[in-house]
Amino acid sequence: MSWTEDIEVRRMVVWWRRLAVMTRKELLQLFRDIPLMGFLVYSFTLSVYITGNGIQTQLRNAGLLVYDADRSVSSRELVSRFHLPYFRFDGELTHPDEGLLRLDRGRSMMVLDIPVRFHEALLAGEPTAVQLLVDTTNSPQGLSAAGYAARIVGQFGREVVSARNVLTGSSSTTVPMILSDHRVWFNQDQNETWFESVSHLLRMITVFAVLLPAAALVREKERGTVEQLLVSPLTPVQIMLPKVVAMTLVILGATAVALFGVMRPAFGVPMKGSLPLLFSLTALFIVATAGIGVFAATVTRNQAQVGMMTLLVVAPMLLLSGIFTPLETMPAWVRHLMAFSPLRYFIEITNGILLKGIGIELLWSQTLAMGVLGGSLFGFGMWRFRRQFE
Amino acid sequence: MNVRRIAAVASKEWRETMRDRMFLLLAFFMPAVWMIVFGYGLVLDVEDITFVVVDRDHSPLSRDYLYRFSQSRYFSFQGELASEREADVWLQSGKARAVILLPEKFQERLLSGQPANVQTLIDGTFPLRADITKGYVIAISGAFNEDLLADYLARTRGLSRDEAQRRTRPIALEVRYLYNEEVRSAWSTVPALVMFSLMVSSPLLTALGVVREKETGSIYNIYSATVSKLEFLIGKLLPYVMISAVNVVALWLMAVLLFAVPFKGSLPFFLATSVLFVLTSTGIGLAVSLLVRTQQAALIITVLVSTVPTIIFSGLIVPVSSLSQAAQFQAHLFPGMYYTNIVRGAFLKNVGPTVLWMDVLALGVYAGGLGAIGYRLFTKRPSA
Repeated sequence: MSWTEDIEVRRMVVWWRRLAVMTRKELLQLFRDIPLMGFLVYSFTLSVYITGNGIQTQLRNAGLLVYDADRSVSSRELVSRFHLPYFRFDGELTHPDEGLLRLDRGRSMMVLDIPVRFHEALLAGEPTAVQLLVDTTNSPQGLSAAGYAARIVGQFGREVVSARNVLTGSSSTTVPMILSDHRVWFNQDQNETWFESVSHLLRMITVFAVLLPAAALVREKERGTVEQLLVSPLTPVQIMLPKVVAMTLVILGATAVALFGVMRPAFGVPMKGSLPLLFSLTALFIVATAGIGVFAATVTRNQAQVGMMTLLVVAPMLLLSGIFTPLETMPAWVRHLMAFSPLRYFIEITNGILLKGIGIELLWSQTLAMGVLGGSLFGFGMWRFRRQFE
Repeated sequence: MNVRRIAAVASKEWRETMRDRMFLLLAFFMPAVWMIVFGYGLVLDVEDITFVVVDRDHSPLSRDYLYRFSQSRYFSFQGELASEREADVWLQSGKARAVILLPEKFQERLLSGQPANVQTLIDGTFPLRADITKGYVIAISGAFNEDLLADYLARTRGLSRDEAQRRTRPIALEVRYLYNEEVRSAWSTVPALVMFSLMVSSPLLTALGVVREKETGSIYNIYSATVSKLEFLIGKLLPYVMISAVNVVALWLMAVLLFAVPFKGSLPFFLATSVLFVLTSTGIGLAVSLLVRTQQAALIITVLVSTVPTIIFSGLIVPVSSLSQAAQFQAHLFPGMYYTNIVRGAFLKNVGPTVLWMDVLALGVYAGGLGAIGYRLFTKRPSA
């Protein structure tokens, strides 16, 4: 080995050692912040459990009040069709006007009003109508409840027709109709705990990945310790990279705890795909998201500013990336805007690997998008960071 | 308690805020930006569900059935496939969210008065979307069935088309939508977004107030000053409550003027309860600030405490009544839920204190509790 090569190798060793020492410093600093660590643990364990277990986006327990003016076999039969888990029977009303008052109070969501002579009309084959008042202060829930009600009433009506036809003996046994059969793939029982716990995990990863490096960088700037570091033999890369490496390690560890400590044992979240792939892409996602934090840290001067700046960006990411409501609901401009959110790709990657069990061959476009986005965000943040001190 | 000392602390805090231009700008800018982005962006009608088709029948009737999907605004046709195996890949890659499979002899069976099976495969990774998709498929199939049956009755019984149609649907369901009569998504989200913007932005205003002074050491000036604990805390809070109160008015104006959401209730009641709410949300920030030692921790904990529960547990999208017991319990621990009831009630329902007194009371208790916690946590004689 020649003399110059030897120097090169040594330089490399020193460079990596410095990186390792700085990473250790960052890790120590993180672990010593007890309240912060407490919240980290809570966020990736109990919080994932409560949210995964607790959220029902489908219609559940919609409070139903009934004003039954007919009090017949048919009306009671119809009312009994509105049952849990979708509808919760909140009682009968003695007066039709009472319904509005109860809806005002907001404890119940709808009032079903059955007219007199309902049963008679059905027997006689005359058309009749029932009325439904729906509280639409929460519009998707209101629409969904009305949709379920329409299905129930329609089904009841069809049964009445076929029963009448059987009674009069005029019906053939079969009718031309489509028997619609649905199979829900990747999550047969539409188990919401899977989706909600995965979403919540991603929310937590995002919040920590943006805020931890942003706050750490600004702190050094605010206190002036970054000047100390800059006059040391460290390069800007060696100052910034350890922060990102340290918190990536911490978040990856927390993710593993959430996956194997909560989501698999408590909810039975399937892990069909490759776990090494999942963790490598999670690391990529963390670094990509950290780029946002690093960038925000370079344009702000104190913690309060960086907090607001990052939250300004993170809140839309959390709400519009397709982990809260489906991307299909969003207007086209939001979908275009969200092309810049790494989370938008990462949700497809996570669900793809965990639930669908697909590999990189079907996820390469998302991975590429996330990589390019993360690379440029991070690169840009890095560039700004270096420039600040030149 | 000395009003002049409170004023002194408040004016020092106010000046510090005024001199931090970027902070001041963001304090007003952030809620307004969210209001616009989410007001227009957080639409909740699921549309354009991508689907592909495997049609083994290729008859006029099968095309008629599929046409009802492709011309509906809820579905977006992506193409026809030759086999079911291809459909797997479309679902797995996420390029299609649903696959409709029509069997052979689809038309033949239906025209001869027999049932025909149609199978729909739905991507279940997002349960809400799967559920809505299923609902749409059932609705479209149901309408198709009614037409089929009416045609059949008209053909076999010699009834008129209208008569046949009436027989297939003996009970009509008349739905009346209350409070948000046209069921506009914006009318239900925008009032809740007033809550969201205030709940997420205002704790951040106060979160670093005390911990910053602890980190830089300027808190020792307070320790040695004549100002009492309570005076100091009130003085610290006051400027930020004022900023948030200005934001309340700004958000209200945006909701009414920009998004044209009707405001049916009483404005004084709304403003008074909003100030109470702002007191609780800025109070949360202050409590966190007193609890922790580093600004980094204060920042992250505040974001976690204010943002995440507000998104999930405040009734913004998911109503509190459909949460599990544990989640409902957690929902009641955050002020967002109570204020959502108040805002929606005041905007859409024209209800006031007689109906909402429980929520107002809860906010009052919350504000009082935070005050007590702050008072306990803050000490002018630190042990270390």
